[in-house]
Amino acid sequence: MKDRSTRLLWPILGLPAIVWIVLFFLIPLYVVLCVAFGTVDPIFRSPIPIWNPLEWQFTQVGVVWDRLVGPDNFYLPAVLRTLLYVTIAVTACLLISFPVAYFTARYAGKYRGLVLALLIAPFWISYMMRMLAWINLLQPEGLVNTIITMGGLIPIDINWLSGNPFTVVMGLIYGYVPYMLLPLFAALDRISPSLIEAARDLGATGFDLFRRVILPMSVPGIVAGSLLIALPMMGDYFTSDMLSKSPNTAMIGNLINLSIVSPGQAGQAGALLILVLLVLLVPMVLYTRSNARAEVRS
Amino acid sequence: MVDQPRRPLSRRRLLQASALAVPGAWALSACARQQPLGGPTGASSASGGATGGATSAPAELQIASPTNPVKWPINPGNEPIASGLEPEANATLRVYNYPDYLDKAVIKDFQKEYADYNVKVEYSTFNDYPEALTKIRSGSVPYDVTFMSYNYMARLVYGDLIRPLNHDYIPNIADVWEEFQNPWYDQGWQYTAPYVIYTTGIGWRADLIPEDIGARPDPYDVFWDSKYAGEIAVLDDDREVIGMTILRDGGTDVNSADPAVLGAARDAMLEMLSISQPRVTITGYTDIPEGVLSLSQCWSGDMLTAQYYMPDGVDPSVLRYWSPPDGRGLIGNDFMLVLKGGENPVMAHHFVNYMLNDAVSRKNSSWIGYQPPLRSLTPENMVSEGLVPANLASAVVKPEWFQVGYPLLELPPEVEAEYQAIWQQFKAGA
Amino acid sequence: MTVSAAPAEAILEESGVRRRRRLRGSSDARAYGLGTITIIYLLWALVPVAITVLFSFNEGRSRSTWQGFSLRWYTWDPTGSVINDESIRTALTHTVTLAVIATIITVPLGVLFALALDRWRGRIPAGANFLALITFVIPEIALAIGLLFMVTYLATPFGLGTWAQVIGLVTFQLAYPIVICRARLLTIGTHYEEAARDLGASALGAVRRVILPMLFPAILVSAILVFADVLDDFVIVRYLSSDASTETTSMRIYQTARAAPTPALNAMATIILVVSTLVIVLGWLLYRRWSKRQGQASDLGSFAGTL
Repeated sequence: MKDRSTRLLWPILGLPAIVWIVLFFLIPLYVVLCVAFGTVDPIFRSPIPIWNPLEWQFTQVGVVWDRLVGPDNFYLPAVLRTLLYVTIAVTACLLISFPVAYFTARYAGKYRGLVLALLIAPFWISYMMRMLAWINLLQPEGLVNTIITMGGLIPIDINWLSGNPFTVVMGLIYGYVPYMLLPLFAALDRISPSLIEAARDLGATGFDLFRRVILPMSVPGIVAGSLLIALPMMGDYFTSDMLSKSPNTAMIGNLINLSIVSPGQAGQAGALLILVLLVLLVPMVLYTRSNARAEVRS
Repeated sequence: MVDQPRRPLSRRRLLQASALAVPGAWALSACARQQPLGGPTGASSASGGATGGATSAPAELQIASPTNPVKWPINPGNEPIASGLEPEANATLRVYNYPDYLDKAVIKDFQKEYADYNVKVEYSTFNDYPEALTKIRSGSVPYDVTFMSYNYMARLVYGDLIRPLNHDYIPNIADVWEEFQNPWYDQGWQYTAPYVIYTTGIGWRADLIPEDIGARPDPYDVFWDSKYAGEIAVLDDDREVIGMTILRDGGTDVNSADPAVLGAARDAMLEMLSISQPRVTITGYTDIPEGVLSLSQCWSGDMLTAQYYMPDGVDPSVLRYWSPPDGRGLIGNDFMLVLKGGENPVMAHHFVNYMLNDAVSRKNSSWIGYQPPLRSLTPENMVSEGLVPANLASAVVKPEWFQVGYPLLELPPEVEAEYQAIWQQFKAGA
Repeated sequence: MTVSAAPAEAILEESGVRRRRRLRGSSDARAYGLGTITIIYLLWALVPVAITVLFSFNEGRSRSTWQGFSLRWYTWDPTGSVINDESIRTALTHTVTLAVIATIITVPLGVLFALALDRWRGRIPAGANFLALITFVIPEIALAIGLLFMVTYLATPFGLGTWAQVIGLVTFQLAYPIVICRARLLTIGTHYEEAARDLGASALGAVRRVILPMLFPAILVSAILVFADVLDDFVIVRYLSSDASTETTSMRIYQTARAAPTPALNAMATIILVVSTLVIVLGWLLYRRWSKRQGQASDLGSFAGTL
């Protein structure tokens, strides 16, 4: 009797969250499918979802597919642009956060707590506030231009906020780097000092030590951190919206967002979203795997 | 926390059912729901045929234009409210509009004026009309009053989204130009009350743009001029940009359904993207004063608003506005609508009437920059009374322009889809 | 230890002992180099925000030219200040309300699920865990659009607005308590619980009396994380908002930052920053009390480490 109630205890504890995930994660995703494979009201051009998968129509997915790879592929430049921005931003985040995380994990010494607290600080500062900070700094008469022109002495006139791709990529790096730092720090922190000492005793010099010991051991952190920032960036539309608002820096997220707010495009937004998710499924599963492996190891 | 009424949900359902053009489905869902629902979609298809002006889908949308004035049907069950009702007490009047398109001080005045009824005005904003229509139709918020233009009029009536006005509550309409009391887009002003009039043109700062844009053979060409790459913008509005591009190409039909015209416009817009890298935004009224933009496609009221956003030390007289001086450009007007889904129809009527009051309208206009079609305001006295500075006299809309200008009309759904495909392509960037 | 500037080739030529010492030296140089990078990074990360905070106290309208210290944008500006601009007040209260409600729902859901996962084996929990982890990395826009469509096209008992926002936020945040508590449960292991059971406690009793108290830091940390992340959220709250009464501070920044901002926007952002800082400090104090009672290290570093 007691055994049975014990066995039942765990499913009962887990049930609320499972119900929640089904109701508010799986069902909404299914509704997106029904909208994407549904039809459109002839007058308002608002989507009419088709709930039965057997009756699904492929018109809207077809339209989006054509825009991606068909003869009318005007989504493609935005997709390539997104991939380019994300690649640059992730690489830059990695280059910035590796030394910082490495320093914090190995050399910060008595300042470790303070440094760590400061590293975490951007987490608590809202993303929008951090974008606002840069919008203020990058105004034509803002601080950045004042410094660059040495207070107006040098006549360089850089307009940062009018569709400058550099500003958008910088915004992405600035916005997402904290999310890369922490997993990386955790990975580097796990490498025990005695291991490094041992490698050194075996004659490994600085670069060798880095290449043969530290880098391989931080791969899980690098992978987790990269995925953790690359995946959200794929759906980001607000960074480009806030820092540029130019079609020339539009990302996939901007295309989806635009479709959502225009009448008659919601189905296409759903279709585009589904195609994006299909592509991202691989890295997403990769992430859950790396997470599971980390759990097993610890 | 927010208790959503169920009515909008069921209305939405009905629209879906009727749009599927399956009377049986409609009848079923009508049985399933007890609420009585008036409206063309329901009532007419339930009786199995077209009784109202709007029929069940797929119907042709009636499209109003200056040459085809329309008197909209009043659908059964959507009659105007009775006369002489007291405004709702403790109402939260939900106003849905563009940002910065109504003076906050005027809202405060209205609340004070109706303090006896303890009214609270909640001002929500949309980015453009398509977004507004989508959200109003979803019924998720019981907005009372909205501000729109005629390019969604047929759908608003067809979708049973707006409420006919009871003229007894709105005596102040007498202060407005006569042609707006019986406009072509709403004969007998059954649904609409005029708000402001505007042209679409080009605004710039004379200290940042070293030429007189209006002196160019074709001023619209400035958007295809690499000289100003990165410092210009076009409006975040598909119709305005496509319309301007058609005018620039020498066309006059800004509502064209001709694939050749639209294809040419699309190619020209993509060319614009690569030549001048414009931003796409409606915030020219702050971006130009702040110097983020030097020049932008904008509405006539924008440059008047822009004066108040000039940074210290820059003289507002550097602002310029151009629209075709013969009036043959994009012209339009917005109006107020009382929404059917709103919870405070009587207060909404009072609000509309309040906004039409000469003094209120002037106060509001001086803040938003847009010109109301008031009898007491003429192009001459607007400048002489100092409402509009001399450098922006071109932003004043002349009554006769409404005879020659090009309004952006409502489009048949399939044509609108073409416009939006072009817009998507434009916004995706080349 | 001295900093050696010897070129690498020279080091290679030297004898074993000396080489070792030299390496220590270059390792020191590395520490300084890395430390400099870290300091530059921290300045880059934090100074813009500090400037934003500073300009919330600007006397004038400008967000880039300092015109003197003033509380104008907090208090006395008749229309634009945080106190007098009702839309800013609404945004602030709504943001905090959402954060409180979402935290109250998310944390228990997640903690219970983590407890269940710790013991319950099989396809269902594994699948649910997989989905929970997916919600963690799926682009937020996907979750937001899914819920938007669900609310719009299915007859749900809640419409757009506060509850839709809360539901979206809880779904998006659920992974935090799950991941954090699972990690902690793995380090706790099973023997405490077994000991309690041996002493006659029921399974539920063991969880309640033994495991939950030991989970305290993990629960605390996930609550703080969820709270702070909800304050920050933009995509979900925007898509699922209804009207002006369900606008949050992030939505206001997004809408106003490029339109007609005044330093009041900075003031609003500063207030949210203060709120989240207060929550962290509160969390730290609670953590310190807990670890003192447990006789564990209670410095900032170990707290930050748990984060």
